[in-house]
Amino acid sequence: MDLTVKIGDVVVSNPVGVASGTFGYGSEYEQLIDLKSIGALFTKAVTWEPRPGNRIPRIIETTSGLLNSIGLANVGREGFAKEKYPFLSGLACSTFVNVAGNTEDDYARTVEWLDEHAPLTGYELNVSCPNVKEGGLSIGGSARMVEAVTQRVRAVTDKPVIVKLTPNVTDITEIARAAEAAGADALSAMNTLVGMVIDVDTCQSVLPGKTGGLSGPAVLPVGVAIVYRVSRAVSIPVIGIGGIEGPDSALQYLLAGASALQIGTANFVDPTVTDRVLDGIRNFLSQHNLTAVSEIASLLDR
Amino acid sequence: MEHFSTPIVHNAPICERYHVMKLGWPPQFAPPLPGQFLTIQPPPGTGALLRRPFAVSDYDPLLSQIEIVYERRGSVTSHLAACRPGESLDILAPLGKAFPEPTGSARPVLLAGGIGMGPMFFLATSLLSRDTNPVLILGARDSTLIPDLPLFERIDTIIATDDGSRGFHGTSIDALHSFEADGNDMNVEYFACGPMPMLQALAVHAEQTSRKCWVSIEQTMGCAVGACMGCVIPVHGGNGYARVCTEGPIFDSQEIAWT
Repeated sequence: MDLTVKIGDVVVSNPVGVASGTFGYGSEYEQLIDLKSIGALFTKAVTWEPRPGNRIPRIIETTSGLLNSIGLANVGREGFAKEKYPFLSGLACSTFVNVAGNTEDDYARTVEWLDEHAPLTGYELNVSCPNVKEGGLSIGGSARMVEAVTQRVRAVTDKPVIVKLTPNVTDITEIARAAEAAGADALSAMNTLVGMVIDVDTCQSVLPGKTGGLSGPAVLPVGVAIVYRVSRAVSIPVIGIGGIEGPDSALQYLLAGASALQIGTANFVDPTVTDRVLDGIRNFLSQHNLTAVSEIASLLDR
Repeated sequence: MEHFSTPIVHNAPICERYHVMKLGWPPQFAPPLPGQFLTIQPPPGTGALLRRPFAVSDYDPLLSQIEIVYERRGSVTSHLAACRPGESLDILAPLGKAFPEPTGSARPVLLAGGIGMGPMFFLATSLLSRDTNPVLILGARDSTLIPDLPLFERIDTIIATDDGSRGFHGTSIDALHSFEADGNDMNVEYFACGPMPMLQALAVHAEQTSRKCWVSIEQTMGCAVGACMGCVIPVHGGNGYARVCTEGPIFDSQEIAWT
């Protein structure tokens, strides 16, 4: 049974990863699960400088979902290299640093710096950030900006570069093709959906920044549809993310065309969810007499 | 930190809206300490997603049991209130930092506001076993939210209700001022859990009187293990925020940037 997934030149041991922002830098979950069993760990976002994050409250539960506005709270590149890298570099699983920024330069210089001072398996670019040089427009909302950021990063590293797409766009396949054209090795689909909760007692938005990012089971069908469309628009691997909480939801992504997965919010609910999902994938392969994860997508009528 | 399924051994109301639940604690696990908490995975059918945090209110090493006091107020706690002994819950524990030891010879004054009583009961029990002569001030809206517990026979307990229906007429902070005005204001150290306005008022009082004050903070939590950065509160120093789940829930009240 072949559970491996190839991202660029890297072979990831299995398709079940953990999503950026939900797994810290790995050590937080060390006592709760065997980190060797994870295919790939995507770190909390790292930015050039440390960021304190947003005002509170930062999270609120919604019906079958979680709305968050963390604000990329992180220790910055130097803090990452000093405090987080030693643990991550000792892990057996693949480790991708999620990188965020507000300009093309931010992404390129952060990746270049990390390549020299804290090299891991590769990078995932969080492009759901405002571009400060273009009036705060989301980088991920513009094919041109995604292409430019990806190109800049591609030029400074030989490691795999994954672009994490935002669903908050009109045509995600256009953005996906732009990332592929600029040299991305894979795409993560999707980041959180913009959402808002208003407290009817106070008549105010619960989150100080008004809106946040929605994750959890509520977004599963959105993510599956996005992976279905994106995987048909590009020829690089697509990593399915959004609402996976067990084997069934994970298999929906693989059937839709995902080559691999990331589990996010469900880690908070059940730290052993990654093991359950991997077992479910193994069972599914056996039941369908398949020998590789990559064959699952062929079962879905096009 | 352990993740395990464990049976409920006792579950009963202790007053209006508040319940106590005892759960099996595998004896091979390190015991929880006063101030630490656990999370419970919402049982199927509650419609809830995230694990719910509850402060540990007691630990019995002989019976290998832990206890929580919880308020019935949403779908998860309503479900918990209906659980029977023998049913199992999915637990993550022990989490967070514990209350520190009282400093030197200071008399520990424990303030509990409403459902904040849980961790204060655990601390009180723990301090009683070490000859520290603690005082427990328990504040609630009215008498229906005050349980009658054997613990109150063993510790100096002052009960305060906002409406005066039981004990001191006023808040727990009013009761504290009254207690200190009676000449009990010498060498004390505060330990508290309750609503933020109560904790803030205590923090101000502690600062004015130059006393140590430790507060247990409640905040909506995502992961409860330090990964998501969701449960922070503003603090002085560092990057301006601290995670309640791992850097707390117990804080020196002077660390917190009260707003």
